[in-house]
Amino acid sequence: MIYGKIWCVVKPSVGVPLFLSAVAIGSFLVHLMLLTHTTWVPRFLEGRPAAAVKAASDTGGAPPPPVVAQKSQS
Amino acid sequence: MAEYKSDPHKVWPTGLTEAESEEVHRNLIQGTQIFGFIAALAHLFAYIYSPWLK
Repeated sequence: MIYGKIWCVVKPSVGVPLFLSAVAIGSFLVHLMLLTHTTWVPRFLEGRPAAAVKAASDTGGAPPPPVVAQKSQS
Repeated sequence: MAEYKSDPHKVWPTGLTEAESEEVHRNLIQGTQIFGFIAALAHLFAYIYSPWLK
């Protein structure tokens, strides 16, 4: 296996948590940046406005289209 | 390094043998593959059910 002997020179108790932390921190930062630097992620997570859903159900009409169907802004 | 003399197969600085090192590596690679598969599935669902890339 390629690079299989790396653990002869890097202690697994150091290298494995370092590797897993790098993956966790990297993926967390990517998703945080998506949340803070786009308009559609926060809007999608916010969901459909409650007032719009209530108005649609009161009039018996079809509910407004879900947020997932909207075009993104960025 | 008295331990070194007791087992000539151990490699320093970690003191693991090459077989042990490859076993650790094999498990790490397998874990990474499983994580990657689940992440790819999650991204597929995000692509289908969210406005991402639309």
